[in-house]
Amino acid sequence: MDFFSNIPTHMDYKGQGRSEKLSRMIITLFGVVGLVWGYYIQQFSATVYVLGAGFLLASILTIPPWPMYRRKPLNWQKPRPSPREDGAETQSPKSKKKK
Amino acid sequence: MHSVFGRGNAMAAYTLSVLAGLTFCCFLSTVFLDYRTPATINTRQVVVKSIPDYSASREKNDLGYVTFDLKTDLTHLFNWNVKQLFLYVTAEYQTPSNEFNQVVLWDKIILRGENAVIDLKNIHAKYYFWDDGNGLRGHKNVTLTLSWNIIPNAGLLPNVGAIGSHSFSFPPEYTTSRV
Repeated sequence: MDFFSNIPTHMDYKGQGRSEKLSRMIITLFGVVGLVWGYYIQQFSATVYVLGAGFLLASILTIPPWPMYRRKPLNWQKPRPSPREDGAETQSPKSKKKK
Repeated sequence: MHSVFGRGNAMAAYTLSVLAGLTFCCFLSTVFLDYRTPATINTRQVVVKSIPDYSASREKNDLGYVTFDLKTDLTHLFNWNVKQLFLYVTAEYQTPSNEFNQVVLWDKIILRGENAVIDLKNIHAKYYFWDDGNGLRGHKNVTLTLSWNIIPNAGLLPNVGAIGSHSFSFPPEYTTSRV
């Protein structure tokens, strides 16, 4: 089970942005090419099929969380050793009350 | 876009938006085209009868009986935004009781890819040429016109009239024989 739970399934923030940008570029490009091709052969269904091909390609490239979208992980700070939970939490409200 | 479902949903929505834009471009590319073209119509047999029109009343009305020739070439009207043409032949005339009468006599559907060269001889009307009274006998100026309704993928459904029509007159006497 550890093997399966260790498969990474996330994208980092930059990766999410890149995947969305890439998908929009692919679909737009296929749409424009399909429009030109469909106008050239005078068959609008060809345009729709080319757009559908672009949708499939973009789905394969940008929907699964490929490793290329995981290259810029966030640098989380190390967790600070918390002294005591009650002391850290109740300090600020107490100071407000005194003022 | 942190999940597979979120990304799939966004992509499907964007694809459909692009498809709507492409369809609009297709509409724009054909909306200003001129779909008129010449056609020739000639009548062969023209008679008029006076018989009861039971679908309307029991009174006797004029029933025209017309056969005609039709010749035109509509091949160049088809493009990527025309799925089919609906052709129809109308008879138009004026009577004392009505300023404008219009009767559809015949129609035909031509799908894209079918033969659009029309050369028909002596065709019978598909629909009855009833007048709503006695206006047909001896009428001097009845005009036959071919028109078509364009059925597109996206956009308007214009009715276009052919260039050219044919005017004829009905005989001054009713026919009693069978036709």
